[in-house]
Amino acid sequence: MNNIESIIKEAILQIKEADLKAIESIKVKYSGKSGVLTQILKSLSNCSVDDKKRIGQEANKAKNIIETEIELRKEALKKEILEEKMQKEKLDYSNKFYFPFTKGSFHPIIQTIQDISSVFKSLGFSIAQGPEIETNWYNFEALNIPQNHPARDVQDTFYLVGMKELLRTHTSPGQIHVMETQKPPIRVIVPGKVYRNEASDATHSATFHQVEGLSVDENITFVDLKAVLSDFTHEFFGTDVDIRFRPSYFQFTEPSAEVDMQCIFCKGKGCRICKNSGWIELLGCGMVHPNVLKAVNYDSEKYTGYAFGIGVERIAMFKYGIDDIRLFYENDLRFLKQF
Amino acid sequence: MKVSYNLLKSFVSFDLEPMEFAWALTSIGIETSVISNTCNWPNVVTAKILDINKHPQADKLSLCKVSDGTKEYTIVCGAKNISVGQVVPLAKVGAVLPNNFQIKKSKIRGIESEGMLCSKKELGISKESEGIYILDDKTKIGSTLESVLGDSDSIFDIEITPNRGDVLSHLGVAREIGAKLKKIVTIPKIKTFNVSGLNCVQVKSNLCLRYIGGVISDIKVGESPKWVKDILEKSGIRSINNIVDITNYVMLELGQPLHAFDLEKLSSKNIVVRAANESEKITALDGKEYSLSSDMLVIADDKQPVAIAGVMGGQYSGIDVSTQTVFLESAIFDSVSIRKTSRKLNLSSDSSYRFERGLSWDIAETAFWRAVNLISDIAGGKIEAREDLQNVKREKTSIALRINRVFKVLGYKINEDEIIEILRYLGIDLESKGEVIFCTVPSWRNDIKEEVDLVEEIVRIKGYDTIPLQSKQAAYSSTLNESFIGNTVENFRVKLNGLGFNEALNCSFCEIKELEKFGLQYSYKIMNPVSKENEVLRPSLLPGLYKNLMLNISQCAESVTLFEFGKVFNELGEKKNFSLIAYGRVWQEWWKWEEQKISPKYDFYFGGGVIKNILSEDFVIVQNLTPAKYYHIGKTASIIYRGQVIGQVGILSPSINEDLKDEIFYCQMDIDAIEKDKNSKVIRYKSFSKLPLVRRDISVIADKSLPFNEIESIIKGVMKSNGILRNYSLFSVYTDEAKIGKGKISYSLRLLYRDDNKTLTDAEVNKDMIHLLEKLDKNLQVKLRD
Repeated sequence: MNNIESIIKEAILQIKEADLKAIESIKVKYSGKSGVLTQILKSLSNCSVDDKKRIGQEANKAKNIIETEIELRKEALKKEILEEKMQKEKLDYSNKFYFPFTKGSFHPIIQTIQDISSVFKSLGFSIAQGPEIETNWYNFEALNIPQNHPARDVQDTFYLVGMKELLRTHTSPGQIHVMETQKPPIRVIVPGKVYRNEASDATHSATFHQVEGLSVDENITFVDLKAVLSDFTHEFFGTDVDIRFRPSYFQFTEPSAEVDMQCIFCKGKGCRICKNSGWIELLGCGMVHPNVLKAVNYDSEKYTGYAFGIGVERIAMFKYGIDDIRLFYENDLRFLKQF
Repeated sequence: MKVSYNLLKSFVSFDLEPMEFAWALTSIGIETSVISNTCNWPNVVTAKILDINKHPQADKLSLCKVSDGTKEYTIVCGAKNISVGQVVPLAKVGAVLPNNFQIKKSKIRGIESEGMLCSKKELGISKESEGIYILDDKTKIGSTLESVLGDSDSIFDIEITPNRGDVLSHLGVAREIGAKLKKIVTIPKIKTFNVSGLNCVQVKSNLCLRYIGGVISDIKVGESPKWVKDILEKSGIRSINNIVDITNYVMLELGQPLHAFDLEKLSSKNIVVRAANESEKITALDGKEYSLSSDMLVIADDKQPVAIAGVMGGQYSGIDVSTQTVFLESAIFDSVSIRKTSRKLNLSSDSSYRFERGLSWDIAETAFWRAVNLISDIAGGKIEAREDLQNVKREKTSIALRINRVFKVLGYKINEDEIIEILRYLGIDLESKGEVIFCTVPSWRNDIKEEVDLVEEIVRIKGYDTIPLQSKQAAYSSTLNESFIGNTVENFRVKLNGLGFNEALNCSFCEIKELEKFGLQYSYKIMNPVSKENEVLRPSLLPGLYKNLMLNISQCAESVTLFEFGKVFNELGEKKNFSLIAYGRVWQEWWKWEEQKISPKYDFYFGGGVIKNILSEDFVIVQNLTPAKYYHIGKTASIIYRGQVIGQVGILSPSINEDLKDEIFYCQMDIDAIEKDKNSKVIRYKSFSKLPLVRRDISVIADKSLPFNEIESIIKGVMKSNGILRNYSLFSVYTDEAKIGKGKISYSLRLLYRDDNKTLTDAEVNKDMIHLLEKLDKNLQVKLRD
C-alpha cells in the first residue's frame, strides 16, 4: 500500500523534471506494458480476493493519476516550446503595416445628404426626387412667387436657351411635384442639386445641394414644425445644441421662419465662425402658404402643412470644419480621402 | 439700411440697450445688427501730438509722441494727415474698438507702440475715412472720447426681407419696435398749408399712381445744419446742400423718396409724367448718360426728361447755389415698373430701392408736408402752389380673421384679447364680431393681403419662442428603406469604396470648348451664364471627371480612381448617370514586393475587371458596336443589362491626352435605364455539395481574332448541360507566336468539376473535358495545346 503511494510520489517528482523526451520514458516506466504499475496488477493473481480488489483499485487509481500528470506536463511543455518558437519568429509591428491598396471614400456632400435623410427617415419621412431642369410654374409660380416679384432678385436663375425652362433654384419645386401626384397625408423630403447664377467664391457656388421637407395633412401646425426641426437638430448635431426660430420671409410659406442653431464650435459663446453671435443660420422653414396648396388643388381650408429647406453644403462645412465651398467640387484626392 | 438709435427714440420711447434693441427687432423678423455703438469707447481719450519722427525701420511709418495731459505715449502711426499740435483720439492699451478690435501693447517694426491713433472708420463713426480723426484744436486733452463728441448714438444695420419695404425708414423701424414693446409711435408735428393748385402738372401714364407736386419759392440754398448732416452721415448718404439733404432726411425719417428740382432750369413750366420715348437720353445726377426705353417712366418738361421716375434725377435740373425756386415731388410709382427700369439701366438708388418694395399711400402726403416744413425752417422757402394727382382710387385692404384659424395654423392657443392687442399696436383698425375679427390694414402694410398674413403677424409679434416645443419623436414610424441615390447606385458606391475608389461630385456645367476634345455634343445651353464655365449643361460626366483626373495628376497622384453619380443632360433629356474613371497603378509600392513584383495598371482588362466585379449577373459585357468618340476603338466594350445597352467601358482615345504615361480607363452607365426595369431578381439559394472538387488546368490555342467570350459561352453551355463542370477561370494568356503559331493566342483555363451525389473518378472528369474540347474544336477551331 505504502508502496503504491511512494510510487505516485516518485513518479510525480520525475514528471515535474522531465522534458518532452524523458516524459515518454516515464510513461513506459510506470504504465507501459512492463511498467511498475502494470507489474503490480499482474502480480495480483496470487493474492486474496480482498487484496486483489483493494490493491487493484489503488494501482489503477495510481495509474490514472500518473497518466493525467503526464498529459498535463506534456501540454505545458508543448505550450512552452510553441511560445519559445513564436518568440524567435517575432516581427516588427511598429511601422510595417501597410496595405498597398488605398482605401476608398464617399463624397462628404453625398454623405451629408445620406445622414440628413436617415434622420428624417427615422422621423417618418419618405424620400422623393424631382428634375433639375424645371419650368417657371414649378420653380416660381406654383410656389406663390409671381413674375417681377423682388424676391426673384435674390434667386438668380439660369435659364436655358431656346426653351421656357430653367435650372431649379431650390428643391421647393419638389413640393409641387409631390403634391400633384399624391394625396395627403404627405411626409416627404426631397434632396437634390440646385443652381444659382452667381460667381463662385469661398461661400458661394453656382451648383449646390438642398434637402426640402414637406408635411401636409389635416392637423399640421407650426407646433409640429418646431418639434420636427428640433428633433432633427438634436439627432444630427447632438441633444445639447440649442435652436431658435426667427420670423423670416419666403413666398411659399406663411408664417415663415429662419432657424438658428447654437454655434457648435464655441457652444454659443461667440467665435469667428458664428461672427461672435453665438448662433449659426441653419435653415429656412414655415407653414405652407394657402396659395401653394391652391396651386395643386388642395383644399387650403381643410389641409395645412409645413415645409423646410436645408442647405447641405452649409451643414457639411460646419460639420467638417471646411472653410471653402469650392473644395467640394475640385475633387482633389487629398480632400476626398479624408472622408 | 442704417438707422440711428437717437432718431428712433424721437418716434417711440423705449429703454433697451443697443444689443437688446437689435435682438428685439431680429426676433420679430427684422434682422438687425449693431454696427457702431458710438457711446462706448473704453480707454479711448483725447491726446495732443507733441512730436513726430520717422520710424527708423520703416519709411511709411512715423513715431509720434502724444500726451493725454498726465502721461506721454510713444505711438507708431501710418497716417499722413497728422501734424504736431493736433488733438486726436488715442486708443490706449486695453481699448476695445468696434468689431472687437482690441488694442494691445505691440512691437511694430521693432518699436513698441503704446496704443493707436484712430480714424473715424476704426472708431466705427463712418464707413470710410482717410487718415486719423483730427479733433478741434481746442479740445481738452485727456477727456474720454464720448464726452468730447457729445453725441452718444448707436447705429444699427437693418436688413429687411423683400416684403417689408415699409420698414425702410426710422418711422418704419419705430413702428416695429413699438408693436413689439406695445408703445405708441408718434411722428413729428407737421403743418399743412392751403395753397392754390398747380395747373402745369400732367400725369400721362398709369404707372404713376399718385403725384404730389409743389412749388416752393424764395429758398436759399446752403449748407445743412449739423443735425441733418449727422443723420445723413450715419446713414451713409453724402451731404449735398440743404434742399437735397432735406429730401433725403425725410426719406430716412418717413420712408418716402422725394425729389426736388430747380424749376427755373426747366425749358417750360409744364411738368409731365409720361412714358419715355424710345432711345430718349438723360444725364442723371451720377453724371452718366442713360438711354431710356418706352416701358420706363420719366418726369419731363416740354423738351426733355428731368428725372427717371423713382430712380434718379437729371443733372441739368439739379439744385445748386443759384436755385431759388424748387419743385418738390412726392409720388407713388408702380413698383414693378421701377424695378424693371432699375434693372434694365443697371442703376439703383436709395429711392428706387424703396419704390420697388412699395410705398404707403398716406405717407406720401405726410412726407411732402414734412419736407415743406423743413425747407421753410432751414432754407426759408415758401410754398406757392401744390397739386395732388391720383390715378387710382385707393382702397383699403380689409381682411376677416377667424380666431380658430389662428389655432389651426399655429397649433397653440393665443387668446382673443391678446390677438386684438397685437393687431392694434401694428396699426390695424379692427372690429371684433364673435369668432371673427374684421381688420383694416394700414396703408404702409402692402404685404398683408390675406388671413394667413395676419396669423403670421400675430405669432411674429408674440414671439416664435412662445411656440411650445413638443417632441413627437416617439410617435413616428420608420418608412421604407429608400435612399435618394437608389439601390443600384448605392450598391456600386459601397463596392467601389471597398475597391479603393473615391466618390467625386462635379458642377453640372461645361465649357463648349471642353466638350470638343471628347467629341461630345451639348443639348442644353444656358442663356445667361455668369462665366464661360457655365456655358452648357454637361452631356456626360466625363469632362468633369477628366478635369479632376488632370488636377490630381498635376498634384503628383500616382493613381486616380474616381466615380460620380449625377444628372447628365443630353439628347435624351435629363438622365441619371454613373461614371468611373481610373488611372495609374492599381497598387501602391509595397516593401514586400521586393519579393513579388506585381503592380498592375488600370488598363482595359483591370478596369473591366473592376466593372464586372461591381455588376450583378444581370449585366453582360459585349463587343461595342457603337463606341463613343472618346474611346480607343480597339479597347472598348458595351454593357448590356437584360438585353439593353446601358453603358460603355474602355480606354480613352490617346488623342485626348498624348502626354500621359498610362492609359485612362473610363466607364459610364445610364442609371435610368437600369432603374426602369423594376423586376429586380430575387436571389434564390442553391444547395451545394460537400463532395470534393476536381481541378483540371488546360491550355487551348485559338485565333487571335476570336473574342474570348465565344469560348466562354461554349464553356457555359457545357456547364449548363451536364452539371459536373461547375466553374472555370482564365489564369494565363500566352501570345508568343514563335511558339504557338502566327495569328494564334493561347489561353490557360482552370476547370472545376464536382458531382453533388458522388466522388468523381478521373475517367468521368476526362470524359467531360474531352467533350468540352471537342465542342471548342468543332465550333471555334480552338484546340488543346500540347
